[in-house]
Amino acid sequence: MAANDRRRKKRAALSRPALVLGGLALVLAVLIVVFFSDGTEEKVKRFIDANVPKPAEAGGGAGPAAASRTVTLFFLADADDLLHKEARDIAAGPTAADEAERALAELVKGSERGLVSPLPAQTKVRQVFIGADGLATVDLSREFAEGFAYGSTAELAAVYAVVDTLVFNFAPVKRVVILVEGAEKETLGGHVDLTRAFLPDYSLVAR
Amino acid sequence: MKSRTHRRALPAVLTLAVLAVAAAGPALRAGQAAPAPRVQTIVIDPGHGGLETGAKGALGNLEKDITLAIGLKLKALVERNLGLAVFMTRDRDVDVSNENRAAIANNHKAGLFISIHANGSVQRKAAGSETFFLSLNATDEETRRLAYLENNSSELQTRIDPSTEDDLMMILWDMAQTAYIKQSGRLAELVQTELDAMLGTRNRGIKQAPFKVLTGVACPAILVEAAFISNPDEERKLASDAFQSRVAEAIYRGLVRFIRAGE
Repeated sequence: MAANDRRRKKRAALSRPALVLGGLALVLAVLIVVFFSDGTEEKVKRFIDANVPKPAEAGGGAGPAAASRTVTLFFLADADDLLHKEARDIAAGPTAADEAERALAELVKGSERGLVSPLPAQTKVRQVFIGADGLATVDLSREFAEGFAYGSTAELAAVYAVVDTLVFNFAPVKRVVILVEGAEKETLGGHVDLTRAFLPDYSLVAR
Repeated sequence: MKSRTHRRALPAVLTLAVLAVAAAGPALRAGQAAPAPRVQTIVIDPGHGGLETGAKGALGNLEKDITLAIGLKLKALVERNLGLAVFMTRDRDVDVSNENRAAIANNHKAGLFISIHANGSVQRKAAGSETFFLSLNATDEETRRLAYLENNSSELQTRIDPSTEDDLMMILWDMAQTAYIKQSGRLAELVQTELDAMLGTRNRGIKQAPFKVLTGVACPAILVEAAFISNPDEERKLASDAFQSRVAEAIYRGLVRFIRAGE
Protein backbone atom coordinates (compact mmCIF):
# COMPACT_ATOMS: atom_id res chain seq x y z
CA MET A 1 0.00 0.00 0.00
CA ALA A 2 2.67 2.44 1.14
CA ALA A 3 4.85 1.64 -1.91
CA ASN A 4 1.90 2.18 -4.26
CA ASP A 5 1.14 5.51 -2.64
CA ARG A 6 4.71 6.66 -3.03
CA ARG A 7 4.67 5.70 -6.71
CA ARG A 8 1.47 7.67 -7.30
CA LYS A 9 2.97 10.68 -5.57
CA LYS A 10 6.09 10.37 -7.68
CA ARG A 11 4.01 10.35 -10.87
CA ALA A 12 2.11 13.43 -9.73
CA ALA A 13 5.36 15.22 -8.86
CA LEU A 14 6.81 14.47 -12.26
CA SER A 15 3.79 15.71 -14.12
CA ARG A 16 3.64 19.14 -12.40
CA PRO A 17 6.78 20.65 -14.06
CA ALA A 18 5.70 19.05 -17.32
CA LEU A 19 2.36 20.86 -17.07
CA VAL A 20 4.07 24.18 -16.30
CA LEU A 21 6.47 23.78 -19.24
CA GLY A 22 3.61 22.85 -21.54
CA GLY A 23 1.65 25.91 -20.44
CA LEU A 24 4.59 28.21 -21.06
CA ALA A 25 5.15 26.72 -24.51
CA LEU A 26 1.49 27.30 -25.37
CA VAL A 27 1.62 30.94 -24.26
CA LEU A 28 4.81 31.45 -26.26
CA ALA A 29 3.23 29.88 -29.34
CA VAL A 30 0.18 32.14 -29.05
CA LEU A 31 2.41 35.20 -28.66
CA ILE A 32 4.44 34.22 -31.73
CA VAL A 33 1.31 33.73 -33.78
CA VAL A 34 -0.13 37.05 -32.65
CA PHE A 35 3.16 38.87 -33.28
CA PHE A 36 3.64 37.60 -36.82
CA SER A 37 0.01 37.65 -37.92
CA ASP A 38 -1.09 40.43 -40.27
CA GLY A 39 -2.35 43.64 -38.74
CA THR A 40 -0.42 43.47 -35.46
CA GLU A 41 2.43 45.55 -36.79
CA GLU A 42 -0.14 48.09 -37.91
CA LYS A 43 -1.68 48.04 -34.43
CA VAL A 44 1.70 48.62 -32.77
CA LYS A 45 2.39 51.51 -35.12
CA ARG A 46 -0.98 53.05 -34.32
CA PHE A 47 -0.31 52.59 -30.61
CA ILE A 48 3.03 54.38 -30.91
CA ASP A 49 1.48 57.17 -32.97
CA ALA A 50 -1.20 57.72 -30.39
CA ASN A 51 1.01 57.63 -27.30
CA VAL A 52 4.45 58.97 -28.19
CA PRO A 53 4.48 62.72 -28.88
CA LYS A 54 6.03 63.74 -32.17
CA PRO A 55 8.94 66.19 -31.99
CA ALA A 56 7.21 68.78 -34.19
CA GLU A 57 4.08 68.74 -32.02
CA ALA A 58 6.06 69.12 -28.78
CA GLY A 59 7.85 72.15 -30.26
CA GLY A 60 4.49 73.81 -30.68
CA GLY A 61 5.48 75.81 -33.77
CA ALA A 62 4.21 75.69 -37.33
CA GLY A 63 6.83 74.31 -39.73
CA PRO A 64 9.36 72.69 -37.39
CA ALA A 65 12.36 73.28 -39.64
CA ALA A 66 11.93 77.06 -39.79
CA ALA A 67 10.74 77.66 -36.21
CA SER A 68 12.95 79.76 -33.98
CA ARG A 69 12.56 81.54 -30.67
CA THR A 70 14.32 84.43 -29.01
CA VAL A 71 16.16 83.85 -25.74
CA THR A 72 17.89 86.27 -23.38
CA LEU A 73 21.56 85.65 -22.64
CA PHE A 74 23.72 87.25 -19.92
CA PHE A 75 27.15 88.73 -20.70
CA LEU A 76 29.61 90.86 -18.73
CA ALA A 77 30.18 94.53 -19.59
CA ASP A 78 33.54 96.19 -18.97
CA ALA A 79 31.93 99.39 -17.76
CA ASP A 80 30.33 97.98 -14.62
CA ASP A 81 31.27 94.27 -14.53
CA LEU A 82 27.62 93.34 -14.19
CA LEU A 83 25.74 90.86 -16.37
CA HIS A 84 23.85 92.48 -19.25
CA LYS A 85 20.97 91.00 -21.20
CA GLU A 86 21.38 90.25 -24.90
CA ALA A 87 18.65 88.77 -27.15
CA ARG A 88 19.54 85.84 -29.42
CA ASP A 89 17.50 83.72 -31.85
CA ILE A 90 17.88 79.97 -31.51
CA ALA A 91 16.18 77.07 -33.29
CA ALA A 92 12.99 76.11 -31.48
CA GLY A 93 12.09 72.71 -30.01
CA PRO A 94 11.57 69.88 -29.84
CA THR A 95 11.94 70.08 -26.03
CA ALA A 96 12.82 72.80 -23.54
CA ALA A 97 15.99 70.85 -22.72
CA ASP A 98 17.07 70.97 -26.39
CA GLU A 99 16.46 74.71 -26.47
CA ALA A 100 18.32 75.13 -23.18
CA GLU A 101 21.36 73.34 -24.63
CA ARG A 102 21.30 75.71 -27.64
CA ALA A 103 20.92 78.78 -25.43
CA LEU A 104 23.93 77.77 -23.31
CA ALA A 105 25.99 77.05 -26.44
CA GLU A 106 25.24 80.60 -27.58
CA LEU A 107 26.26 81.88 -24.14
CA VAL A 108 29.65 80.19 -24.59
CA LYS A 109 29.95 81.46 -28.19
CA GLY A 110 29.82 85.00 -26.84
CA SER A 111 28.28 88.40 -27.34
CA GLU A 112 27.43 89.98 -30.70
CA ARG A 113 27.63 93.43 -29.12
CA GLY A 114 31.16 93.44 -27.71
CA LEU A 115 30.30 92.15 -24.24
CA VAL A 116 32.31 89.35 -22.56
CA SER A 117 31.14 85.80 -21.97
CA PRO A 118 31.91 84.75 -18.40
CA LEU A 119 32.32 81.15 -19.62
CA PRO A 120 35.61 79.83 -21.04
CA ALA A 121 35.36 79.77 -24.86
CA GLN A 122 36.28 76.06 -25.06
CA THR A 123 33.40 74.99 -22.80
CA LYS A 124 31.06 72.46 -24.39
CA VAL A 125 27.48 71.92 -23.28
CA ARG A 126 27.30 68.16 -22.85
CA GLN A 127 23.67 67.89 -21.81
CA VAL A 128 20.78 69.66 -20.12
CA PHE A 129 18.14 67.58 -18.34
CA ILE A 130 14.99 69.19 -16.96
CA GLY A 131 13.17 67.22 -14.28
CA ALA A 132 9.47 67.41 -13.49
CA ASP A 133 10.35 69.06 -10.15
CA GLY A 134 11.79 72.12 -11.92
CA LEU A 135 15.39 71.10 -11.33
CA ALA A 136 17.56 71.54 -14.42
CA THR A 137 20.80 69.55 -14.44
CA VAL A 138 23.46 71.07 -16.68
CA ASP A 139 26.47 69.00 -17.65
CA LEU A 140 29.37 71.12 -18.92
CA SER A 141 32.72 69.94 -20.25
CA ARG A 142 35.85 70.10 -18.10
CA GLU A 143 36.97 73.35 -19.75
CA PHE A 144 34.27 75.13 -17.75
CA ALA A 145 36.28 74.50 -14.58
CA GLU A 146 39.70 75.05 -16.15
CA GLY A 147 39.59 77.91 -18.53
CA PHE A 148 39.40 81.13 -16.52
CA ALA A 149 41.29 83.13 -13.89
CA TYR A 150 39.81 81.86 -10.69
CA GLY A 151 38.39 84.29 -8.19
CA SER A 152 35.05 84.81 -6.51
CA THR A 153 33.80 87.34 -9.02
CA ALA A 154 34.80 85.20 -12.02
CA GLU A 155 33.14 82.13 -10.50
CA LEU A 156 29.95 83.94 -9.54
CA ALA A 157 29.64 85.46 -13.03
CA ALA A 158 30.17 82.09 -14.75
CA VAL A 159 27.74 80.22 -12.51
CA TYR A 160 24.97 82.80 -12.53
CA ALA A 161 25.23 83.47 -16.29
CA VAL A 162 24.29 79.78 -16.71
CA VAL A 163 21.69 79.70 -13.94
CA ASP A 164 20.01 82.99 -14.86
CA THR A 165 19.94 82.11 -18.58
CA LEU A 166 18.07 78.86 -17.85
CA VAL A 167 15.61 80.15 -15.25
CA PHE A 168 14.92 83.41 -17.12
CA ASN A 169 14.12 81.73 -20.46
CA PHE A 170 12.62 78.37 -19.63
CA ALA A 171 9.45 78.38 -17.55
CA PRO A 172 9.78 74.78 -16.30
CA VAL A 173 13.21 75.53 -14.78
CA LYS A 174 13.17 76.76 -11.17
CA ARG A 175 16.59 75.63 -9.91
CA VAL A 176 19.83 74.56 -11.56
CA VAL A 177 22.52 72.06 -10.66
CA ILE A 178 25.83 72.24 -12.54
CA LEU A 179 27.91 69.14 -13.24
CA VAL A 180 31.38 69.19 -14.76
CA GLU A 181 32.17 66.35 -17.19
CA GLY A 182 29.25 64.35 -15.87
CA ALA A 183 30.27 64.49 -12.21
CA GLU A 184 29.60 66.64 -9.17
CA LYS A 185 32.40 69.11 -8.44
CA GLU A 186 32.69 70.90 -5.10
CA THR A 187 33.68 74.29 -6.52
CA LEU A 188 35.11 75.73 -9.75
CA GLY A 189 38.14 77.31 -8.10
CA GLY A 190 37.62 77.09 -4.36
CA HIS A 191 34.75 79.53 -3.88
CA VAL A 192 31.19 78.95 -5.13
CA ASP A 193 29.52 75.77 -3.85
CA LEU A 194 28.45 73.63 -6.84
CA THR A 195 27.09 70.77 -4.75
CA ARG A 196 23.74 72.47 -4.14
CA ALA A 197 21.10 73.61 -6.60
CA PHE A 198 21.18 77.31 -7.49
CA LEU A 199 18.26 79.67 -7.51
CA PRO A 200 18.68 82.56 -9.98
CA ASP A 201 20.42 85.69 -8.66
CA TYR A 202 19.47 88.74 -10.68
CA SER A 203 21.40 91.07 -8.34
CA LEU A 204 24.41 90.45 -10.62
CA VAL A 205 22.38 91.67 -13.62
CA ALA A 206 22.42 95.34 -14.69
CA ARG A 207 19.04 97.05 -14.51
CA MET B 1 51.22 84.87 29.67
CA LYS B 2 49.10 87.96 29.29
CA SER B 3 46.10 86.11 27.94
CA ARG B 4 46.34 83.49 30.69
CA THR B 5 46.07 86.09 33.47
CA HIS B 6 43.13 87.57 31.58
CA ARG B 7 41.40 84.24 31.57
CA ARG B 8 42.02 83.71 35.25
CA ALA B 9 40.58 87.13 36.05
CA LEU B 10 37.53 86.58 33.89
CA PRO B 11 35.30 84.62 36.35
CA ALA B 12 35.83 87.27 39.00
CA VAL B 13 34.94 90.06 36.57
CA LEU B 14 31.85 88.20 35.39
CA THR B 15 30.70 87.58 38.96
CA LEU B 16 31.09 91.27 39.78
CA ALA B 17 29.15 92.19 36.63
CA VAL B 18 26.31 89.82 37.49
CA LEU B 19 26.15 91.19 41.04
CA ALA B 20 26.13 94.75 39.72
CA VAL B 21 23.28 94.01 37.34
CA ALA B 22 21.29 92.25 40.08
CA ALA B 23 21.79 95.21 42.41
CA ALA B 24 20.79 97.75 39.77
CA GLY B 25 17.29 96.28 39.64
CA PRO B 26 14.88 95.11 36.99
CA ALA B 27 15.01 98.24 34.78
CA LEU B 28 18.64 97.68 33.84
CA ARG B 29 18.20 93.95 33.42
CA ALA B 30 15.40 94.52 30.87
CA GLY B 31 17.73 96.79 28.89
CA GLN B 32 20.36 94.05 28.64
CA ALA B 33 18.05 91.27 27.49
CA ALA B 34 19.52 88.34 25.55
CA PRO B 35 23.13 89.35 24.96
CA ALA B 36 25.00 87.42 22.25
CA PRO B 37 27.51 84.90 23.62
CA ARG B 38 30.87 86.54 24.28
CA VAL B 39 33.48 85.93 21.60
CA GLN B 40 36.41 83.98 23.10
CA THR B 41 38.03 82.56 20.01
CA ILE B 42 38.57 83.80 16.47
CA VAL B 43 39.42 81.55 13.55
CA ILE B 44 41.21 83.14 10.61
CA ASP B 45 41.04 81.37 7.27
CA PRO B 46 43.62 82.39 4.65
CA GLY B 47 42.01 81.32 1.35
CA HIS B 48 43.46 78.51 -0.82
CA GLY B 49 46.96 77.05 -0.24
CA GLY B 50 49.28 74.32 -1.49
CA LEU B 51 48.44 73.07 -4.98
CA GLU B 52 45.27 75.12 -4.90
CA THR B 53 46.76 78.51 -5.72
CA GLY B 54 43.55 80.51 -6.10
CA ALA B 55 43.54 83.41 -8.56
CA LYS B 56 46.76 84.33 -10.36
CA GLY B 57 47.87 87.88 -11.10
CA ALA B 58 49.43 88.94 -14.40
CA LEU B 59 52.60 89.90 -12.50
CA GLY B 60 52.85 86.39 -11.08
CA ASN B 61 51.41 86.90 -7.60
CA LEU B 62 49.24 84.12 -6.22
CA GLU B 63 46.08 84.58 -4.18
CA LYS B 64 47.17 81.91 -1.66
CA ASP B 65 50.34 83.84 -0.69
CA ILE B 66 48.56 87.17 -0.23
CA THR B 67 45.75 85.68 1.86
CA LEU B 68 48.27 83.99 4.16
CA ALA B 69 50.28 87.22 4.63
CA ILE B 70 47.14 89.20 5.53
CA GLY B 71 45.88 86.41 7.77
CA LEU B 72 49.09 86.28 9.81
CA LYS B 73 49.03 90.07 10.23
CA LEU B 74 45.42 89.91 11.44
CA LYS B 75 46.31 87.14 13.89
CA ALA B 76 49.09 89.26 15.38
CA LEU B 77 46.77 92.28 15.75
CA VAL B 78 44.03 90.30 17.50
CA GLU B 79 46.44 88.53 19.85
CA ARG B 80 48.29 91.73 20.73
CA ASN B 81 45.26 93.97 21.26
CA LEU B 82 42.35 91.77 22.27
CA GLY B 83 44.00 88.88 24.08
CA LEU B 84 41.61 86.44 22.43
CA ALA B 85 42.60 82.97 21.28
CA VAL B 86 43.28 82.90 17.53
CA PHE B 87 43.46 79.77 15.41
CA MET B 88 44.45 79.66 11.75
CA THR B 89 43.00 77.15 9.28
CA ARG B 90 46.53 77.18 7.85
CA ASP B 91 49.68 79.09 8.86
CA ARG B 92 51.82 77.93 5.95
CA ASP B 93 51.49 76.94 2.30
CA VAL B 94 49.40 73.75 2.51
CA ASP B 95 46.17 72.40 1.03
CA VAL B 96 43.18 72.49 3.40
CA SER B 97 39.75 71.26 2.28
CA ASN B 98 36.74 73.51 2.74
CA GLU B 99 35.20 70.98 5.15
CA ASN B 100 38.33 70.99 7.29
CA ARG B 101 38.37 74.79 7.42
CA ALA B 102 34.84 74.77 8.86
CA ALA B 103 35.71 71.87 11.16
CA ILE B 104 38.72 73.77 12.57
CA ALA B 105 36.39 76.67 13.39
CA ASN B 106 33.75 74.47 15.01
CA ASN B 107 36.15 72.24 16.92
CA HIS B 108 37.77 75.31 18.48
CA LYS B 109 34.31 76.72 19.27
CA ALA B 110 35.09 79.81 17.23
CA GLY B 111 33.08 82.94 18.02
CA LEU B 112 34.02 84.53 14.69
CA PHE B 113 35.27 83.11 11.39
CA ILE B 114 37.12 85.39 8.96
CA SER B 115 38.00 84.00 5.52
CA ILE B 116 40.49 86.15 3.60
CA HIS B 117 40.66 86.17 -0.20
CA ALA B 118 41.89 88.21 -3.16
CA ASN B 119 39.39 88.57 -5.97
CA GLY B 120 39.65 87.64 -9.63
CA SER B 121 37.57 88.45 -12.68
CA VAL B 122 37.71 87.76 -16.41
CA GLN B 123 37.79 91.55 -16.80
CA ARG B 124 41.08 93.21 -15.98
CA LYS B 125 39.32 96.48 -15.15
CA ALA B 126 37.28 94.93 -12.33
CA ALA B 127 38.43 96.50 -9.06
CA GLY B 128 37.50 97.13 -5.46
CA SER B 129 36.88 95.50 -2.09
CA GLU B 130 33.85 93.58 -0.94
CA THR B 131 32.71 91.43 1.97
CA PHE B 132 30.53 88.35 1.53
CA PHE B 133 28.33 86.35 3.82
CA LEU B 134 26.47 83.16 2.95
CA SER B 135 23.38 83.12 0.75
CA LEU B 136 21.03 80.27 1.27
CA ASN B 137 19.90 79.22 -2.20
CA ALA B 138 17.38 77.22 -0.26
CA THR B 139 14.47 75.19 -1.50
CA ASP B 140 11.15 75.36 0.34
CA GLU B 141 11.96 72.28 2.35
CA GLU B 142 15.38 73.62 3.30
CA THR B 143 13.88 77.01 4.17
CA ARG B 144 11.61 75.38 6.73
CA ARG B 145 14.52 73.53 8.29
CA LEU B 146 16.56 76.72 8.35
CA ALA B 147 13.79 78.68 10.01
CA TYR B 148 13.80 76.04 12.71
CA LEU B 149 17.56 76.24 13.11
CA GLU B 150 17.52 80.02 13.21
CA ASN B 151 15.01 79.99 16.05
CA ASN B 152 17.02 77.37 17.91
CA SER B 153 20.58 78.46 17.30
CA SER B 154 21.43 78.14 20.99
CA GLU B 155 20.72 74.43 20.68
CA LEU B 156 22.93 74.15 17.68
CA GLN B 157 26.25 73.84 19.47
CA THR B 158 25.03 70.83 21.43
CA ARG B 159 23.16 69.31 18.52
CA ILE B 160 26.12 69.35 16.19
CA ASP B 161 28.95 67.02 16.93
CA PRO B 162 31.45 66.55 14.09
CA SER B 163 32.52 63.15 15.37
CA THR B 164 29.08 61.63 14.86
CA GLU B 165 28.31 59.46 11.86
CA ASP B 166 24.62 60.10 12.14
CA ASP B 167 23.16 61.32 8.83
CA LEU B 168 20.84 63.92 10.31
CA MET B 169 23.67 65.33 12.39
CA MET B 170 25.84 65.55 9.31
CA ILE B 171 23.11 67.44 7.48
CA LEU B 172 22.83 69.90 10.36
CA TRP B 173 26.59 70.19 10.45
CA ASP B 174 26.65 70.87 6.73
CA MET B 175 24.09 73.64 7.10
CA ALA B 176 25.45 75.12 10.35
CA GLN B 177 26.01 78.64 9.02
CA THR B 178 22.33 79.10 8.24
CA ALA B 179 21.64 79.72 11.94
CA TYR B 180 24.03 82.70 11.93
CA ILE B 181 23.13 84.50 8.72
CA LYS B 182 21.85 87.68 10.39
CA GLN B 183 24.90 88.07 12.63
CA SER B 184 27.18 87.30 9.69
CA GLY B 185 25.47 90.06 7.70
CA ARG B 186 26.08 92.53 10.53
CA LEU B 187 29.74 91.49 10.80
CA ALA B 188 30.14 91.87 7.01
CA GLU B 189 28.68 95.38 7.20
CA LEU B 190 31.06 96.50 9.95
CA VAL B 191 34.16 95.03 8.28
CA GLN B 192 33.22 96.43 4.86
CA THR B 193 32.78 99.93 6.36
CA GLU B 194 36.34 99.77 7.73
CA LEU B 195 37.77 98.38 4.47
CA ASP B 196 36.14 101.28 2.64
CA ALA B 197 37.56 103.80 5.11
CA MET B 198 41.11 102.41 5.10
CA LEU B 199 41.94 101.00 1.66
CA GLY B 200 41.00 103.71 -0.82
CA THR B 201 39.69 101.01 -3.16
CA ARG B 202 36.29 101.01 -4.84
CA ASN B 203 33.59 100.02 -2.34
CA ARG B 204 31.74 97.05 -3.84
CA GLY B 205 29.67 96.69 -0.69
CA ILE B 206 28.46 93.59 1.13
CA LYS B 207 27.05 90.68 -0.85
CA GLN B 208 25.63 87.24 -0.28
CA ALA B 209 26.93 84.24 -2.19
CA PRO B 210 26.86 80.44 -1.77
CA PHE B 211 30.51 80.05 -0.80
CA LYS B 212 31.45 76.50 0.14
CA VAL B 213 33.85 77.44 2.95
CA LEU B 214 31.13 79.31 4.88
CA THR B 215 28.32 76.74 4.79
CA GLY B 216 29.52 74.53 7.65
CA VAL B 217 30.75 77.22 10.03
CA ALA B 218 28.74 77.41 13.28
CA CYS B 219 29.38 81.07 14.20
CA PRO B 220 29.19 84.49 12.50
CA ALA B 221 31.33 84.10 9.38
CA ILE B 222 32.43 86.33 6.51
CA LEU B 223 34.63 86.13 3.43
CA VAL B 224 36.65 89.26 2.68
CA GLU B 225 37.74 89.97 -0.91
CA ALA B 226 40.45 92.56 -0.25
CA ALA B 227 41.02 93.67 -3.86
CA PHE B 228 41.37 92.20 -7.39
CA ILE B 229 44.57 90.30 -8.12
CA SER B 230 43.37 90.13 -11.75
CA ASN B 231 43.67 93.92 -11.95
CA PRO B 232 47.39 94.85 -12.37
CA ASP B 233 47.10 98.04 -10.27
CA GLU B 234 45.42 96.21 -7.42
CA GLU B 235 47.74 93.23 -7.77
CA ARG B 236 50.68 95.55 -7.04
CA LYS B 237 48.87 96.85 -3.95
CA LEU B 238 47.94 93.37 -2.73
CA ALA B 239 51.58 92.28 -2.98
CA SER B 240 52.79 95.22 -0.87
CA ASP B 241 53.38 94.86 2.84
CA ALA B 242 51.78 98.25 3.57
CA PHE B 243 48.50 97.41 1.83
CA GLN B 244 48.36 93.96 3.44
CA SER B 245 48.76 95.61 6.85
CA ARG B 246 45.94 98.05 6.09
CA VAL B 247 43.61 95.18 5.09
CA ALA B 248 44.42 93.37 8.34
CA GLU B 249 43.89 96.56 10.36
CA ALA B 250 40.53 97.25 8.66
CA ILE B 251 39.26 93.71 9.33
CA TYR B 252 40.51 94.00 12.91
CA ARG B 253 38.64 97.27 13.48
CA GLY B 254 35.45 95.81 12.02
CA LEU B 255 35.52 92.75 14.23
CA VAL B 256 36.32 94.84 17.32
CA ARG B 257 33.18 96.89 16.61
CA PHE B 258 31.19 93.67 16.21
CA ILE B 259 32.49 92.22 19.48
CA ARG B 260 31.88 95.46 21.41
CA ALA B 261 28.31 95.69 20.05
CA GLY B 262 27.64 92.18 21.37
CA GLU B 263 28.93 92.92 24.88
